[in-house]
Amino acid sequence: MMRHSRMLAAIAAMALPVVPAAAQTVDYSALEAVMGEPVTTSVTGRPQRGSEVPASTVIITAEQIARSPAHDVPGLLKGYAGIDVNRWTAGQSDVAVRGGVQSYNARLLVLVDGRQVYLDHYGMTDWNLLGVPIEDIQQIELVRGPASALFGFNAASGVVNIITKKPGDAPAATLVAALGDHDRARVAGSVMVPLAAGIGIKLSAQHLREDERRVPDALLTPGRLPDVTASQVASELFAHVGRTTATVGGGYASNGQMEYLPSQILSNQFYRSGNVHASVARDTAWGGLTVSGFVNWLDATYGKDALRDRPNAALEIDNRIVSLKAAGLYRFGDNNVVRLGSEYRNNRIVGNAQFADTISYDVASVDAMLDLHFGDRVALTTAARFDRLWLGASGPVAQPAFNDPASFDRAFSRVSLNAALLVQVGANGRVRLNGGRGYQLPSLTTFGVRIPLVTATPLPFPVFVAGSPLLDPVGTWSGELGYAHDLGSTRLEATGFYTRTSDAIASPGDGLQDLLEFHLVPAPVAVARFQVAGDYQTYGVELSASGRHAALTWRTNYTWTHTDEQVGSLAAPIALAFSPRATTPQHKANVALGYDAGGRWYLAALARYTSPTRQFAFTAMQQLALFRVEDAVGIDARIGYRFTTRLAGYVAAENLTLASGVAGSPIPADRRLRAGLRLSI
Amino acid sequence: MSVTAPSAAELNVPVATRVISFLQLPPSGPIQTAIIYAPGNADSVAEAASIERAIGAGKGRIRVKRIAVGALGTLAGTQVAFVTGGLRGEQDEIAQAATRNHIVTITSDQSCVASARCVVAIATSPRVQITVNRAAARAVDAKFGSAFLMLVKEI
Repeated sequence: MMRHSRMLAAIAAMALPVVPAAAQTVDYSALEAVMGEPVTTSVTGRPQRGSEVPASTVIITAEQIARSPAHDVPGLLKGYAGIDVNRWTAGQSDVAVRGGVQSYNARLLVLVDGRQVYLDHYGMTDWNLLGVPIEDIQQIELVRGPASALFGFNAASGVVNIITKKPGDAPAATLVAALGDHDRARVAGSVMVPLAAGIGIKLSAQHLREDERRVPDALLTPGRLPDVTASQVASELFAHVGRTTATVGGGYASNGQMEYLPSQILSNQFYRSGNVHASVARDTAWGGLTVSGFVNWLDATYGKDALRDRPNAALEIDNRIVSLKAAGLYRFGDNNVVRLGSEYRNNRIVGNAQFADTISYDVASVDAMLDLHFGDRVALTTAARFDRLWLGASGPVAQPAFNDPASFDRAFSRVSLNAALLVQVGANGRVRLNGGRGYQLPSLTTFGVRIPLVTATPLPFPVFVAGSPLLDPVGTWSGELGYAHDLGSTRLEATGFYTRTSDAIASPGDGLQDLLEFHLVPAPVAVARFQVAGDYQTYGVELSASGRHAALTWRTNYTWTHTDEQVGSLAAPIALAFSPRATTPQHKANVALGYDAGGRWYLAALARYTSPTRQFAFTAMQQLALFRVEDAVGIDARIGYRFTTRLAGYVAAENLTLASGVAGSPIPADRRLRAGLRLSI
Repeated sequence: MSVTAPSAAELNVPVATRVISFLQLPPSGPIQTAIIYAPGNADSVAEAASIERAIGAGKGRIRVKRIAVGALGTLAGTQVAFVTGGLRGEQDEIAQAATRNHIVTITSDQSCVASARCVVAIATSPRVQITVNRAAARAVDAKFGSAFLMLVKEI
């Protein structure tokens, strides 16, 4: 069978036309085909083989995505060591790396083709607002540990870079339609068309809807539970002339879903986002230069239908991000590279519940990376980045003003670091010692939001939940020691890690009386602020093994994570919904199996165990509490059938075992089935 | 049609074909490719046959023809040459012919690249390792994309 599979691979490789891969500065598909393994730029900025990167990294290829039972990016990531995926609701997911589980996780930076899709207004990622159909993904790269020296703020616990497919020299189209229980319906498609020699265009679109999960009566819920809806359309134009590659693109996406806010209040959100982006890359004899920029817009509505008697009460936030970057790679010696980069960013929010009409900041950054190789066995990588941020507020100041406007006129600097030492041991082993210092930036909302509270009992003074312009970035130190060993087609990996997060920020929860500060402006006003919740440390071990035997692929891993924390009391009333120790499972294990002999049928399954946790939620009595989430063994599976080389069908199921704790949410998980057809032309 | 994975000593043709795509100015249209072999060397003949079978199984743009090491004068018009093993005594002549005709030479014989007589060496066991000789590439006016060069061993 293996011989048959290799024969098909060889034929496929030979049948491919010789397209000028060099013209695309980094053609991930072509580089993977020639090197026999995925290639990434997400660790140092230079192209590197997945097995040689100086960090703990996950790379999920298009082939793996196509066979996976997962329906989205978090579902694909959850089967790997060190990763927690909490599906708080049917639409809202959070991905945490090495602990620190929290809704609206602000410490994982998420990019699509290097462009930020992490939402700066609140410091979070809406995985239904990525603007990329899963079928359009070439590979997903996740780097565990701080990556701020390359990517700047918010890559504090890691970074996810989603690489999309690029047009080749022949037209191609994909159409996917799927239906499932819980009234799930999804249609997605993409078209890639070469317009002329060296010029191609890609169009993609998708629409999704499904029912929300059933919320237990014991939990506080919005006045109306909405369906999950997500739509997107995007387009990109690619051109290469000689050694220069240019890309221009844009997209629009919308998403409506119920979410747990950082305060752990369930709330209905509606997002509409748009972007335009462009990049020019010039390949040179000594390396390469890249200039890129993007503008992201976000129109977010928070808390729609939050109150039964005031269905339209909502928080409106408009966010605009403008980013311009330039970077150069220079090769020297046998295999050494230096990378120099710079970035300017302007980020602002305009909203109806802020200290002033506009809260904004500008960030100027420079970064450098040096990757040195000493013979074939030792590599040393060091990287540093300097960020300088200027905060500001403009426009009419909301009254009563309990902040001094001058407090928004501040600036601060941070230096992020990464370093790694790789040593080849014998013919098949590699030791990796690496670490870093990264930062999570307080979000614009955290700096400047100002929400009047409606209290159950009328008070003689108004109460506000507010941000603070005095908050500082949350710093994370990380260190790890890893060993990887290849035994034929089997790969074994072991990593021990330690991370320390200082001055983590949390949203006010229950028990506001412990948080309130009073101001006379001139009438009395009470304010509960976003504030420093404390420190926490995580350490643990990740063990992984993976391999291929004939048509069978397999992958298994186990993660032990211990969390120490220095945070406030968790006795009722709980003032801050923040306890990484309670919310992060101590044990996780995954077993993934796939069978594909290249015939008509293929199978894939993932079994995942997570130990019990406690997660925050407001009770129906409006009290913040910790709810036990039971340990769980969840099984996902997918069976596919290829009718022809162009038409394939599949049936997939998530949480076949109907384990309530699989979602890691106070809202129990349900089982979801779906079936679909995929037409590729 | 029968294609099998090449042995460790034979050229991995799918990888070799991909390598061509990373040239800064890849050949357009059909790519005339020579298989340089020694008729009197059984291993060389076997490798040439293996390469032919691999190429013949597909419908790509690679067009191969065998050229005996004693007939290097017929290389004109060729853009790429797959150099079989067993030609160490003739590597100087092969390099000179490649330089005259601007031919990118690709081989599984590491010594040919180490001595700057071939441009690219491909090893596939235990995993793909590609070696590019700068001097040999310069001699035949071959330039590769920098992303590719950052993933290979340049000597």
